[in-house]
Amino acid sequence: MASEETTLQSEVLKALRYPIVVSDILRQRKAIKRELLKQANLVPTRIAILGGSTTTEVKSMLELFLLAQGIEPTFYESGYNRYSEDVEFENPDLWNFKPIIVFIHTTWHHVSEFPELLEADGEVENRVRREMARFESLWEKIHTKLGALIIQNNFDLPHLRPLGNLEASESFGRVNFVLRLNSEFAKYARTHSRFLINDILYLSAQVGQGVWFRNNYWYNFHMALSPIATVYMAHNVAAIVKSVYGKSKKCLVLDLDNTLWGGVIGDDGVQNLILGRDHPVGEAFLDFQRYVKSLQRRGVILAVCSKNDAENAKEGFSHPDSVLKLEDFSAFKANWDPKPENIRAIAAELNIGLDSIVFVDDNPAERDFVAEQLPEVAVPNVGADVSAFAEVLEHERYFEVDKLVQDDLNRSAYYSSNAERSAGQGKFSNYGEFLASLEMTAEIGSFLPVYLERITQLINKTNQFNLTTRRYTSAEVVAIAQDQGFIALYGRLADKFGDNGLVSVLIGEVSDQTVQLDLWLMSCRVLKREMEFAMFDALVEQCQARGIRKIVGVYIPSKKNNMVAAHYASLGFTSMGGASDGRELWSYDVPASYSPRKRYIRRTADGLVVPLPIADNESVSSRA
Amino acid sequence: MHTIPMNRDEFLLEMDEILDLPAGTLRGHERLEELQNWDSTSLITFIALAESNNGVSVSPGQIVTCTTVADLLRLANAESSSS
Repeated sequence: MASEETTLQSEVLKALRYPIVVSDILRQRKAIKRELLKQANLVPTRIAILGGSTTTEVKSMLELFLLAQGIEPTFYESGYNRYSEDVEFENPDLWNFKPIIVFIHTTWHHVSEFPELLEADGEVENRVRREMARFESLWEKIHTKLGALIIQNNFDLPHLRPLGNLEASESFGRVNFVLRLNSEFAKYARTHSRFLINDILYLSAQVGQGVWFRNNYWYNFHMALSPIATVYMAHNVAAIVKSVYGKSKKCLVLDLDNTLWGGVIGDDGVQNLILGRDHPVGEAFLDFQRYVKSLQRRGVILAVCSKNDAENAKEGFSHPDSVLKLEDFSAFKANWDPKPENIRAIAAELNIGLDSIVFVDDNPAERDFVAEQLPEVAVPNVGADVSAFAEVLEHERYFEVDKLVQDDLNRSAYYSSNAERSAGQGKFSNYGEFLASLEMTAEIGSFLPVYLERITQLINKTNQFNLTTRRYTSAEVVAIAQDQGFIALYGRLADKFGDNGLVSVLIGEVSDQTVQLDLWLMSCRVLKREMEFAMFDALVEQCQARGIRKIVGVYIPSKKNNMVAAHYASLGFTSMGGASDGRELWSYDVPASYSPRKRYIRRTADGLVVPLPIADNESVSSRA
Repeated sequence: MHTIPMNRDEFLLEMDEILDLPAGTLRGHERLEELQNWDSTSLITFIALAESNNGVSVSPGQIVTCTTVADLLRLANAESSSS
């Protein structure tokens, strides 16, 4: 990992980081691509770009930003303005390409019927419905026939306003109509998984209409976005794809003095900190704290890494205007040790990878030191002006999420209560006593529709306790859940400190009397809790119920999953040796009589043997 | 974003990068049709940079009349040899 991230420090790649240097990217795109391709362990994906306008630039820029995220795309491009026909008439080139993601790059130019002047509201609504029907038919065919995830542009605003400001207020106005359509697109996104909006309405406002759309590029090349705007849009689409692949960051590590408040707590004392509405700079610190708090509420883990005496540092959060409270932080390192050491300790304590961490510090020397020592950690150049900190974090799109599920909201609470668990551990004479004290309960069963999004999310972001690191699309997960030829189990774990959520997934394909485990993963949140034993017990039960005599375990070594190298051996599997493709195979004969391995976890739900029908309109005919 | 227009030497270096050539390769006399990387992508990049660097709006119609790199520099108002 270090080597690939070290490559990303290369001078030529700085143009991709905030503030994006568009002219450097345009000019040096070939050199940048060459540098990015030197990274190890790129994750391959297939993206079909279905364009209403010319997409050559879109493809070129999207490739750079995806490579920067460690994702290596191959592309299919529709012909000019054939975004709909390629799907409607099942273009064999597109079908053979088997896209994992379909990106539909349409803009306001592709609204097929704007309202007539003075048209009645009812007729305008009919036009909205017809437009939606046209797009929905396209989306549903992509979902059902191609099984791909869809990223769909919403609409930007027409650059000309013949009706002036009435365009926004009259229902037949074009601005108003576009916003109505965007609202319908959003509604569709809320009710359909595997459908994500690329918000070009926001992007065009951010870039500015005058830069977003240029007549020169439209009339000469039919580019709906200028090259400059295309860079920003590609950055945004890459962030969405990154989130789909579970590559978004999880944890924000913050310095304190002059980062979360103005002044030095150890010298100035809590009463003299600059924080609050009565001071212009204090207001900027307050707003940054509010932004950090909003990240924490949606599941980003917070940690402190500060050169301070711990007691002084903690006192800062007692400031009456401090929005952030001590309990918002899941790890707290305030001491005089080098910051890279503290960040390493935070990662270990939280059981997360260094590549999940973003570090924010106003001090450029500390930033450089951390960036140099821990190249896996993202260290944005936030500068020294707190009023820009949130903007920098936003622009880098570190914490992009494709879906927000309840487990995300519970995450911070979990990591905070984990500190209590760890503290409790010291009170017991042996580890078993500690596990028993946790009063753990597990719900283990066949995939349920309500959990499919979380299951997909976990599959695509778990790297360490993951026997094969095999990734599955949402469509594949849905298909497996419905397929009798698979054993597909999820596991939730709770204890007296709180609910850990859905933490383990296991998928095995059944053939005759054998099940081969293509996937077995577990969140590192619950390592050493015997949850893997509970999952194995449930698996054996299912095998017994279905007459399966043999379990074949697959282990595919990766740079990150060494912790499970001995997993199958520890469960009593026998090595079948290594296959030529690098896989290690392990075998286990299912006994007629089996004694459960788990000792400290009580099961609250029986594993369901028969896969449930999915109450979703997105059945998938084939796996991608 | 440059506020001072690029001169000939600076723009030649930009063209080196656009065409993925070592810095200092292009002198101006090179024929566009003989440059391997002169394609639609580099053409669009040239137009974008002529606008952002030198504030000049160049159309593809003007570019097709160019035969050499020096002709492109004239379009981008980057003919002076020093700033």
